[in-house]
Amino acid sequence: MKNIFKIYQTGFLKSLVPALVFAVAISSCEKNIDLEPFNQVSETAAFQSPALIALTVTGMYEAAQIGYYANPVDPAYRGFPFGAAFVQQGDNRGEDVVNVATFYQLTYTATYSTTSANNVNYWKDSYRLINRCNIVIDGVKKAGASNVITPVLAAEYEGEARLLRAMTYHELLVLFARPFKDTPTASHPGVPYHENPFTTQAAIDEGFATGRSTVAEVYAKILADLDFAEANLPLKAARSGNMKLTRATKAAAVAEKTRIYLHMWDMDKVITEGTKFITGALAGTYSLTADPSGPFVSPYSNTESIFGMENSATVNPGVNAALASQYGRRQLVCMSPIIWRNSSWLVDDKRRLEGAMITTTSGVKFTNKYKDQTNYTDPSPMLRYAEVVLNMAEAYARKGDVTNGLTYLNMIRNRALAIPATQAYTAASFADNVALLGAILVERRIEFVMEGRRWPDIHRLQQCPYFPINGIPAKLANGMPAGSAYTLGTPYTGALGTTAVPYSDFRFVWPIPQDEINANPTLAAQQNPGW
Amino acid sequence: MKKISLLLVFMGCIGLQVLFAQTREITGKVTSADDGSSIPGAAVVVKGFTVGTITDMSGEFRLKIPSSAKVLMISFVGMASSEVDLTASSNYQIVLKSEQFAVDEVVVVGYGVQKKREVTGAISQVKGDAIANLATPSFESQLAGRSAGVQITAGTGVLGEAPRIRIRGIGSISQGTYPLVVVDGMPVFTGDVGGYAATNAMGDINPADIESVEILKDGSATAIYGSRAANGVILITTKKGASGRVSVTYNNYLGVASPVNLFDLLQTPDFVTISNEKRSNRSQAAIAVGTDINTDWQDAVLRQNAFQQDHNLAISGATDKTNYYFSAGYTTQKGVSRPNEMNRYTLRSNIDHKLNNWLSIGLNSAITRSEYFGLNTGNNSLSGNVFSAIRMLPNTTVFDEKDPTGYNIDDINTNYAGRGQNLQQVDDNLPNIRYTLDKNVYSSKTMGVVASTYLSANITTDLNFRTQLGVDTKGTEGFRYWNPFHGDGQSVNGRINNNYSNFTRWNWQNVLTYTKTIAENHNIKVNLVSEFQQQGINSFYGSGTNMSDAFFNKNLIDGSYGTQISGGSKTQNGFNSLAGRLNYNYAQKYFLQASVRRDGISSLPKDKRYGIFPGASIGYAISKESFMSDLTFLSDLKLRASYASVGNADIGNYPYLGLYSNAKYADYNGIAFSQIGNDNLQWETSKKTDVGFDAAFVDNKLKFTFDYFINNQDGLILNAPTPPSFGIPGNSIAKNIGKLKNWGYEFSFDASLINKKDFKLSVNGNLSIVKNKIIELVNHQDIISTYTIIREEQSIRALYGYDYVGVNMSNGNPIYRKADNSLVQGNIPTSNYKVYDPANPTDITVASSLVSADRKLLGNTIPTYFGSVGIRADFKGFDLNVMFRYSGGNYVMNRTRMDLLNQKFQNNGAEILGRWQSTDKPGDGWTPRLWYAGDTFVNLTDNTSTRWIEKGDFIKLQNVVLGYTLPKSILKKIGIQNLRLFAQGQDLLMITDYTGIDPEMESGGVDYNGTPRQRVVTFGVNLKF
Repeated sequence: MKNIFKIYQTGFLKSLVPALVFAVAISSCEKNIDLEPFNQVSETAAFQSPALIALTVTGMYEAAQIGYYANPVDPAYRGFPFGAAFVQQGDNRGEDVVNVATFYQLTYTATYSTTSANNVNYWKDSYRLINRCNIVIDGVKKAGASNVITPVLAAEYEGEARLLRAMTYHELLVLFARPFKDTPTASHPGVPYHENPFTTQAAIDEGFATGRSTVAEVYAKILADLDFAEANLPLKAARSGNMKLTRATKAAAVAEKTRIYLHMWDMDKVITEGTKFITGALAGTYSLTADPSGPFVSPYSNTESIFGMENSATVNPGVNAALASQYGRRQLVCMSPIIWRNSSWLVDDKRRLEGAMITTTSGVKFTNKYKDQTNYTDPSPMLRYAEVVLNMAEAYARKGDVTNGLTYLNMIRNRALAIPATQAYTAASFADNVALLGAILVERRIEFVMEGRRWPDIHRLQQCPYFPINGIPAKLANGMPAGSAYTLGTPYTGALGTTAVPYSDFRFVWPIPQDEINANPTLAAQQNPGW
Repeated sequence: MKKISLLLVFMGCIGLQVLFAQTREITGKVTSADDGSSIPGAAVVVKGFTVGTITDMSGEFRLKIPSSAKVLMISFVGMASSEVDLTASSNYQIVLKSEQFAVDEVVVVGYGVQKKREVTGAISQVKGDAIANLATPSFESQLAGRSAGVQITAGTGVLGEAPRIRIRGIGSISQGTYPLVVVDGMPVFTGDVGGYAATNAMGDINPADIESVEILKDGSATAIYGSRAANGVILITTKKGASGRVSVTYNNYLGVASPVNLFDLLQTPDFVTISNEKRSNRSQAAIAVGTDINTDWQDAVLRQNAFQQDHNLAISGATDKTNYYFSAGYTTQKGVSRPNEMNRYTLRSNIDHKLNNWLSIGLNSAITRSEYFGLNTGNNSLSGNVFSAIRMLPNTTVFDEKDPTGYNIDDINTNYAGRGQNLQQVDDNLPNIRYTLDKNVYSSKTMGVVASTYLSANITTDLNFRTQLGVDTKGTEGFRYWNPFHGDGQSVNGRINNNYSNFTRWNWQNVLTYTKTIAENHNIKVNLVSEFQQQGINSFYGSGTNMSDAFFNKNLIDGSYGTQISGGSKTQNGFNSLAGRLNYNYAQKYFLQASVRRDGISSLPKDKRYGIFPGASIGYAISKESFMSDLTFLSDLKLRASYASVGNADIGNYPYLGLYSNAKYADYNGIAFSQIGNDNLQWETSKKTDVGFDAAFVDNKLKFTFDYFINNQDGLILNAPTPPSFGIPGNSIAKNIGKLKNWGYEFSFDASLINKKDFKLSVNGNLSIVKNKIIELVNHQDIISTYTIIREEQSIRALYGYDYVGVNMSNGNPIYRKADNSLVQGNIPTSNYKVYDPANPTDITVASSLVSADRKLLGNTIPTYFGSVGIRADFKGFDLNVMFRYSGGNYVMNRTRMDLLNQKFQNNGAEILGRWQSTDKPGDGWTPRLWYAGDTFVNLTDNTSTRWIEKGDFIKLQNVVLGYTLPKSILKKIGIQNLRLFAQGQDLLMITDYTGIDPEMESGGVDYNGTPRQRVVTFGVNLKF
């Protein structure tokens, strides 16, 4: 009996082991695999509280400040499109800088292709920013309608998104499409225009229906965005600290409009918009700094800068893109003798000042507009009041108003002159408005050298009735120029080792990237000719 | 295995409860037929009774046996069992013959072991001894060539970089392709485990502790691992104690490593000529001046005699209740590139203990400390070791005693290497590479514990229950320092980073095993398995830039840097699984195995997260049929076939969720859309089919295995490209669209040619023929990368680019063949394309173009065949092992060669001497005219072209090991059981037409400035007390 019990006991014990184990196992089953991420927020939460909405709006600027280079698995921030890249690409497509090393060589020598990184990432990061803008526009409209945030705040946020969207589409037009005047009504292909967010498979499926809009259509959308932004964005006074400059304001929308209308050859509108700074709603809010170095010596607190991307010591385009790195410490791009020795740029002009504006190494001239060579905190100069002034000068000159044109030109030029009393232009300096226009166009090159403005000007001036540029001008050879090439006194007449690309050449516009062609049958049929 | 035989003895004892009267005592001795030596630890059992013992150290035994006992059974692992009829004698001399090919060898399978002859799946086994003594940073790189169907490639000579493993092809397009690795039943972390130096998790395993490695290749063998099986499974079994006296072993090796090859760079006189010709061709002034110095900068970067050593001490043994194995290992290896180094300290303790007649427990644990010192190996980084070494100006020195740093640094631009007498500094901002290698620090220090403990219960004689709880945890400390004065750190006035990553994985598995033989011939085994796993990876980092002084370069030190940055991340995932397996055979003749597993994973949406993965195989030992018995030359022939549908769980943590990540704008917090969601995402599946046979001839002297396999990967999770103009994060959405097929043949043989007492000679080898084809992609769209394309009907990542024809001999322009087969020349002076008319080669007036549509498929990057041939000879005390490894059928884009032909003011490879100079000196017809800074046009940088594509075929003398074992007669006197001295060499010789360092130095088909692989020569001792 005892033995039987013992056998029973042992058997029970033996069976108990697996029974207990399986019981524990099954009870702990489901929660082991029902997990949620810690590092990210679910998309359903992003627009459900004012705090998360505010974060999402800020996150949109991140896409403007530091686009991904190459791939998202190994992200490298390279300042696409507005943190740094627009300056580097805009300069290196033109003739007023020399690319010293490999970095911008494909852009500089027009040997880019459908797969070369800078043009491909410009496209990708611009549309990445646009999608974030579209997500914000869609999200804040719904949040405003459902009173998660006030309708006023929703409209302000929407204005920020629409300003960034407009500026981005304009960048894309300038790089990937031919200029406004290429056809009489700008009916030639622009870029694909998306204004709805891509966050679902359904949106992807619908997106394939959209091909390239015409240039005129895209400009119309840009203007609609800018008008909305102007109406709903605050003045800089309503913002604090660096955000006066680094978040969208009403002034940024208006200043951008002077630029857009210049590209659309609507000089009246340039003047209308510019005048808002003089006598209109923005009167007194911006003024030129006393010295031309003002916007760069105090880049976050000056009276002239209107809009730029903020860069901080911890979040910036990095050693491979930040302006103070590429143009400053690493000296990868220098000023070209072509502009340095331009006879309109007086020898004693303050913009040649060593230290404040220029650094010289072995005779070669580099810009010193971007000064923080350790932490790369200089903002990118997206819009300066000086540009509004020169835009107005050009508009007046083109309309034949020499008086106003001269006034606005001198506002910029005189502050840079060593002896304004004797060196300043007067009415007698120019035979006619065309001569004045010529001086204004050169002044733009000098004032904005190495701020990325050269390519947009080359682009829009192709069909200029007075000073047409044919395609991409010839440049110095890629590589470090000799120091002797910078000796002032005569215009540069040395070798131009990088030959011009005529307007008729397919290389004048960047190709739609191969990845887009591969993934989008609609655009595959609409590639720029020749690519 | 001794343990298993012991276990059988005891289980036999337990099973029978017969009482008997002790009548007499017998004694005896068990010896080996080979050399007459005594065999300690042999099991001696009386047939039909619960009486048995184990021979002592001198092979002797003493046993009381019942009067009715008739037969004595003697068995020992590696020897043929013997039965001896009991006579009136009380002393028995028993001689055991060794089994040349032990019939009952077992192989480790998922959640158990199986007799080799009952295996119906495709499993390769590599014994630990084969790789234990080879100098290697991690054991798996030594598996290369050792089994059919398994391709292992160490792409570079950097210690700590995980080799690439492909088991029967490539299992996925955009998700993980690394096999599951299981150590003593515990699935362990693989890949890189953090820090700032490459840190291969597999490097934590001490090769000397490995008893065997089993590679599960086909569906049937892997199906029990269900969702983790698509890329194959590698099972590692560590050593156990052997019964008998305590065994103490000490093994070591000492040796040196050197690069397998160096680049043939220009020497100073040619460098000056070429540099100035680049300039003069485009009417620029000469810049290269000075021929006094002739430096090979490869010497500044690479080590010719990198010291490596390894020491292992193991103590093991077994009593009738406890089996133990303890080991300690130490290795330090310097890599071929400065300052690459690894140090590893390992401790292992494996213990099994029987609590009583039905319950046993055990613990396998390993503690490893690994330290890696790495470097910047960026293939396109200014301080990348090889990128820079091939570019530094040879007419400049490495050091300069006049410079305060002692290094040759440019006086004008301190971010450049010194220019020497040259009129210009080296192009592209290149720093003095030796300075950055000497000053900058990249390190990873990992503390890892892999431990599992089990309890095993024999509930009845047929039913066993085992529960095992395991943990794999690694804590990796990373440190990086960039010197503020020169090199990478100059940009931010010094950068210092510390980081810490913790990897922790818990695994709990329960296995119920039922084994029964019914009616003599029906052998049944059933396994039921439940398994749960959860893992978490936490990491954080702190970094500082703008350092106050280079003095503070050992760690982040409070207040020593201006800009402070920190961050971190936390992820987790979990598995739940239930599985069952049935093994059945009839009379060891007809075999059937069937299994099914249900896996749930946290990485998939709630209603798609469970997957069911079935597999089955059959075997037919046709040689056991009576009608085959006439074929006496045939010792064994088994036909096999299997099919399974398994999955790939290596798909990231939350690929299905729509997510917003943190996105800071300058210093303002923000979040932004970072991943597009897909609620329909489900398991990737791999349908694996295999048919094959195992044959043995002439008394098992020749063994041959053949397999034909097809792996159809369905529903691959593809990061399906979305149009970039849609602005979707990463320009992709995870979708189950994509089909891939790998298929091929595997042959392996093992032939014992001579098997005499003093002279043994055997040859083995294998050949794998593997094909790979993309069957379906999203919307049939190509996925094009810089050098390669993924296209339907093609092998994955085929080279894709321009068809280069050669040089226009009249002007030095490169000629290409367009898609329409017309010829076009790149007119170097104007950087645009003109029609090339062979009848009128000087004509450059007709405009043409070379555009992306002109790109063509230029060859597969996956080897189509590979394998090895090995020879083993034993003569008296000498043993010799030689292994040749071969591979081919693939093409490599030699991007390094393009870099060697750069058009900058930088050094070049000697190939550039073949450039076109004039119609009188047209050069080699392949290298165009030089053009300073013309790389993007002359070389088409960042594009593939046939100018750079080469065949990847090679034969390598992978290993030669020569050993000498001292005669036992001598050793016995000094109390040593075994003493073997050996010398070995790895990667000693290569036969190839490839012009780069090594065709295996490709990643994704592209050879791009990798660190040369290492050739290692070592000497060592195996000592056993």
